[in-house]
Amino acid sequence: MTFSFTMSPSDLLLLLPEILLTVWLCLILIVDFSFPRLPNEQLAYFSIAGLVATLGCLVWFDVAGITGTLFANMFALDRMALFFKMFIVGSTILVILVSVDYMHRFKFFRGEYYFLVVMSALGMMFMASANDLLSVFVALEFSTLGFYVLVAYLREDMGSNEAGIKFFILGIFAAALLAYGISLVYGETGKLVFSDMKTAQASPGLAIGFLLIFAALGFKIGSVPFHSWIPDTYHGSPTPVTAFISIAPKGAAFAILLRMFLVSLATFRPIWTLLLVAASILSMTYGNIVAIAQKNMKRLLAYSGIAQIGNVLIGLATGTKMGSDAMLFYLLTYLFANLGAFAIVIAVSEAIGSEEIDDYSGLGRRSPFLAFSMLIFLLSLAGVPPLAGFIGKLYIFVAAIKEGLYVLITVGLINIVISMYYYLIVVKKMYISEPLDRSPLKVSGPLKVVVYVCLAGTLAIGIYPQPVTDWVVSAIMMFSDVADPTAALPVPPAVIPFGG
Amino acid sequence: MGDLTLLFILFAPFVGAIALIFVSNRQTMLVRGIAAGSAFVSLLASLYLFYAYDPVKGGFQFIQKFEWSRQLGISLHLGVDGIGTPLVLASSILLFAGIFVSWHIKDRLKEFYIWILILAAATIGVFMSLDLFFLFFFYEMSVIPMYLLLGMWGSHTKTYNEMTDPEGLKLRDSVGFIFNFGSNSKEYAAMKLVLFLSAFAVAALMGILLIYKYAGLNTFDILVLREQAKLMNIPVLGTTLDKIIWILIFFGFASIAPLWPLHSWSPVGHAAAPAATSMLHAGVLMKLGHFSIIRVAFEILPETTRELMPIAAVLCMFSIVYGGFVAFYAKDTKYVIGYSSSSHMGYVFLGMAALDYISLTGAVMYMFAHAMATGMLFAMAGWVYDQTHTRDIPSLGGLSNRMPFISGCFVVGCMASIGVPGTVNFIAEVMIIVGSWNKYPLQVIVAVVGIVLTLAYLFKMMRGLFYGPMDQKYSHAHDAVSLPDRLPLLIMITVSIGFFFFPMHLYDVVRSGVDPLIAKITRVVPVASQDREMLSVKREAQTSGVPNRPQDVSDNASRDTLHASRGKE
Repeated sequence: MTFSFTMSPSDLLLLLPEILLTVWLCLILIVDFSFPRLPNEQLAYFSIAGLVATLGCLVWFDVAGITGTLFANMFALDRMALFFKMFIVGSTILVILVSVDYMHRFKFFRGEYYFLVVMSALGMMFMASANDLLSVFVALEFSTLGFYVLVAYLREDMGSNEAGIKFFILGIFAAALLAYGISLVYGETGKLVFSDMKTAQASPGLAIGFLLIFAALGFKIGSVPFHSWIPDTYHGSPTPVTAFISIAPKGAAFAILLRMFLVSLATFRPIWTLLLVAASILSMTYGNIVAIAQKNMKRLLAYSGIAQIGNVLIGLATGTKMGSDAMLFYLLTYLFANLGAFAIVIAVSEAIGSEEIDDYSGLGRRSPFLAFSMLIFLLSLAGVPPLAGFIGKLYIFVAAIKEGLYVLITVGLINIVISMYYYLIVVKKMYISEPLDRSPLKVSGPLKVVVYVCLAGTLAIGIYPQPVTDWVVSAIMMFSDVADPTAALPVPPAVIPFGG
Repeated sequence: MGDLTLLFILFAPFVGAIALIFVSNRQTMLVRGIAAGSAFVSLLASLYLFYAYDPVKGGFQFIQKFEWSRQLGISLHLGVDGIGTPLVLASSILLFAGIFVSWHIKDRLKEFYIWILILAAATIGVFMSLDLFFLFFFYEMSVIPMYLLLGMWGSHTKTYNEMTDPEGLKLRDSVGFIFNFGSNSKEYAAMKLVLFLSAFAVAALMGILLIYKYAGLNTFDILVLREQAKLMNIPVLGTTLDKIIWILIFFGFASIAPLWPLHSWSPVGHAAAPAATSMLHAGVLMKLGHFSIIRVAFEILPETTRELMPIAAVLCMFSIVYGGFVAFYAKDTKYVIGYSSSSHMGYVFLGMAALDYISLTGAVMYMFAHAMATGMLFAMAGWVYDQTHTRDIPSLGGLSNRMPFISGCFVVGCMASIGVPGTVNFIAEVMIIVGSWNKYPLQVIVAVVGIVLTLAYLFKMMRGLFYGPMDQKYSHAHDAVSLPDRLPLLIMITVSIGFFFFPMHLYDVVRSGVDPLIAKITRVVPVASQDREMLSVKREAQTSGVPNRPQDVSDNASRDTLHASRGKE
């Protein structure tokens, strides 16, 4: 393999969003140091300006169809990468908006907060494009570095520190697994680029190597059995960071998982389908059952997030184009519903200083707007029509039933009912229980914007999903041009006839 | 796209609900006006639909189709046949009546109307969906409003408020409390309703997904699937696929109907719900079950239906008798009506199970008739509760002095519910009984016993509420005097009695929907002569291009029996 790092201007163009964001990253630091008296909101809006410019650039790429690969295939900018980059940048913008009001809780380093958030976003953008195991490692660690700090950002809060330590120790453990897995895979195949590994022969070393890589990525997405950091970290971190960590890294990690499973491991589909089916069933069931017992809103959303990831894994387990479309679609619906729910958690905790579910009593009377929005987001997470989550779940189930994953679908459907219970417990608190204190709640402007955006997304996708389905289908279509996963398959028989 | 009637019926309540979001709760009259106005638009349009539906032409009419998702093969395909049309009408009548029944709600009136409009629109959506996806979409959409309506505006039974949990605490909201002691609480009722219906709804969804997969047509369109889906004789798990799908669909949807072993959520839900919600719940929500079974199982799997429908014939007996006895011994007005509804839904299952032209027509007419009858009863039980704040029958009595109008209407409501001649329920009941006599004589005997039971418990309740000595603490109770209070009852009584004297259009419409269905289900095994007749009629219809509306002997004979039995009683 020869690396040729000569770059033409057209190559540089492909990196434009990343370059733009890197420059902005430096500017954020410079502005923060040069104007120490600058109000905090200003710096937030300054960061958002850069992110919006990046988003605009990504949209332009997507519309104009600017795609390609760089650095001997290490960096791929296909439409799937563009989808995930927009996903990441979009969620980062919303996260910064919800952080504005939270900022007063940070005693130190307020400016660096935005720097770290944007830096993680940049790392995740590289993850979305990583087409090679080395760039996967570098990008993944780059983005996680920011999160290690962000999770422990409430310096005087024991919970936040504990969350930071937990996340850090398990995180470096996952990094070690990843590095070990990469070295095994490289040792077996002599290749690093995903699409070069299509012809790899099965061997124990390769299997263990990919299992280790899957474990590291499973840590990132928080699927059972790699989920143990999630509840405490979500609970302890500053809530905007929790919101961020619950969405953006998942998207980025799924981009890598898609490339890994559908491209390099396409020939081993019957084997890894079993693995993913198991992970998915465990995640959904564990997440939903444990969520029932939660008393804290952030922990509830943490466990519900584990269950939601189980749903996304159904799409991956199908191993088809339709399944991948459905995954992207589902992630988008999850973005709006989950971020919206966290925005309301922040709004409520700013107003009444609590994140316990019991303190949501009577929210329907104290703030009809927040309660109604929370209702919509939770029902979307539960999968109730006409909200986005329902279409997302249905899309995934349709993709899965086409592959005959009956057991998986049955478990998924039963889990919908289980999840309905704990989401409705929150609804009951908000609407049926009487408030202890009837004073109305105030919601700040930026939070309102986020809630409106998420509401609009949840309702619009639920009522008319066609534009979004078109988008995800074309995103995966471009990806399958790079490497067609279905063409490489030796047409497996119905994978698991009523068994797996 | 032609006629937009269906869109008006379906979207008027939605538009009303959205408009209500922007109105303040303080402008009470405006809130009421918007709710009543949008319900009225829906009512007018469905009246037009009912009378403009052409029973001679038959089939699905007023069809609207908009592509919704290419990848999943979903389109918003709306259309009504003879079975859907009367149910759409019943839904919009009950919605309109329900708006007036809840005229005096003080707490969060706007939110109440929003949710009830969404609930009614969702049920209407099911009755006009020709796409499996949208059928399920609207079906599932009707569940969550029920949760909020029950939870926010429902009522507990009296003893509940004094209950404590094992530690002696009044933890009304703790999870454990609800499961252990709260069976009389509205929270318990609401949660049970949602979980029960969702659990069975996902079973139905599994059935729908299996149809989608094995039809292999990449579409959810019922009209395409019923013609082209080949689901028969695929061996799976020691049986055949069509049976598995049928069982999933049947029990998935029968839970909302509610068929006997799956009924327990229903009376609890009725008891906790506010009056207008009970009306919609018993009046139309329960019919979603029968309707969806007819629309999905009967249309797409006719042969399996013929094979497996005896299941319903067995279970419906338990429904009728069990519901009737519990209603007889219940002491709570709403429990009585709730159990009576689940008992009466057994008749509908009997009519469906017999798979006969007359009995199925009777079943569909009974759905319509029962919606009116039970709507009246729940409206009046709600009125009595609002006036006396109790639903406990033994403690009530003698209210006829205080509320002569209500007690008068109550007599009519009881008559309708029993099926006394003079109400459309009579025609429907007789048709069910006559139509299923040949096939299920035992069940028909049970059904007749059920009618006697109905008479017993409704008269017992009537006596308990309105006659005998009155407790002085209820002396402040007053009658429904103003027009908004009387209007809903008058509408429902008019409809119920009106269709007794002029049933022909209703009969023709329903019959036009039933005929092709039964013809399809009974086509393959020619058992009776009726079948041969049917075939010849069909052939005739195909050659002459005249739509297949059999003016044959069995039809006339049935009308003769009708007249005969009418005379007898």
